[in-house]
Amino acid sequence: MTPFELAEPKSLKEAVGLLDADDPTIRPIAGGTALMLMMKAGVFRPSKLVSLGGIKELRSIAIANGELKVGATTPLAVLEHSDEVRNHAPVITRTLRTLSNIRVRNVATVGGALAHADPHMDLPPVLIALGARVVVQGKKGERTIPIADLFAGYYETVLAKDELIASLIVPAQNGRRAAYLKCTTRAVHDWPALGVAVSLATEGNGIKDVSIVVSAATETPRRLAGAEKAAQGASDEAGWRRAGEAAAEEAELITDAQGSAAYKKQLVRVHVARALRAALGAE
Amino acid sequence: MRTINFTLNGEQVSAHVAEHQSIVEVLRDRFDLFGARESCAQGLCGCCTVLVDGTAVSGCLYLAAFADGKKVTTIEGLAQNGKLTPIQEAFLEAGAAQCGFCTPGFVLMAGQLLEAHPDPDDDEIRHYLSGNLCRCAAYPEIIAAVKLAAGRLRAGRT
Repeated sequence: MTPFELAEPKSLKEAVGLLDADDPTIRPIAGGTALMLMMKAGVFRPSKLVSLGGIKELRSIAIANGELKVGATTPLAVLEHSDEVRNHAPVITRTLRTLSNIRVRNVATVGGALAHADPHMDLPPVLIALGARVVVQGKKGERTIPIADLFAGYYETVLAKDELIASLIVPAQNGRRAAYLKCTTRAVHDWPALGVAVSLATEGNGIKDVSIVVSAATETPRRLAGAEKAAQGASDEAGWRRAGEAAAEEAELITDAQGSAAYKKQLVRVHVARALRAALGAE
Repeated sequence: MRTINFTLNGEQVSAHVAEHQSIVEVLRDRFDLFGARESCAQGLCGCCTVLVDGTAVSGCLYLAAFADGKKVTTIEGLAQNGKLTPIQEAFLEAGAAQCGFCTPGFVLMAGQLLEAHPDPDDDEIRHYLSGNLCRCAAYPEIIAAVKLAAGRLRAGRT
């Protein structure tokens, strides 16, 4: 790694003040598990990193007005073992258990898992399906961004270089059920070739209102409106399969080391149907 | 460069480090502790495992500067007065190593497992150790060692 300066602010305001809208070589660092890989590979050579580890106000989990609020530097392992999180959205707890490994989850943070914007990450599609949003702090104040609108491209977010994710908010789920499935093609611990997150309500035996999100196989995690429409009212195996077919037609898939676009099309077809079935059987 | 102060295997130490150095580099270069070693360099293999404030981290992905004021434990810090821990003894008895390169990481992660789950089943053992790779594939012996250690630790507590 190339040398850099390390600033250690004690407050969110101080941290934002150290960032520069016009200088992409200054970046915040929280756990650093993802940034360290980029720096070791030489694809990121920062002049200065602003460590968020000393900002106590950013590390918290709370329920307020029926919503789950998580501070940005809360480690993923803390989220994984939180009763508040398990009660609010058990799909998050289940997802975290298979996200990377225990050591990485001990260090990596919620805000980092969103700001890094690697489309292969597990939390973004789940949080989009749950209708979650982030509160972002800039020099002129804060704004709220739905996570569905956070990702601008491969490793790109809509955040300005002098903005920081301060917290994550997951709205009340009101009995909705959710599931996340991922498919790794080379080794279990590899980045997934495909992630599928679904969240749905039911009416009778059928699906009433569903979010279907694909990740890893696409440039950014994204909802599939056509597949959601196809899944509406579905109440049996044929219905899940119809939604899977619609998703396979709709998703813009990319070829990479995890598999070809044609192969991922088949993965989408199968896993969207499976994810709907899993969500209906989930808590 | 900056000076960091931390507790290393129970002893108060300080080191002059560069901001971009990882904790595993500092342990090896400044303190001659070679039990944690960088292997995959991506946090996947577990060979660089160290404990920071009692929690396992990948030393190759952890900036040394972040250890300032914290308590760092390496494999060298487990044995007290030359006496191995029950987990270390169990690894020896079960033959849970061939070349031994990955063993420090496995022993430290097994310690994390048994603190949280004193009587783990095979699935829980696999879950905790899934982030550690043994290229000699001593996995059956490693699982046997963890069970042996778990039984002894439980017996020791009662």
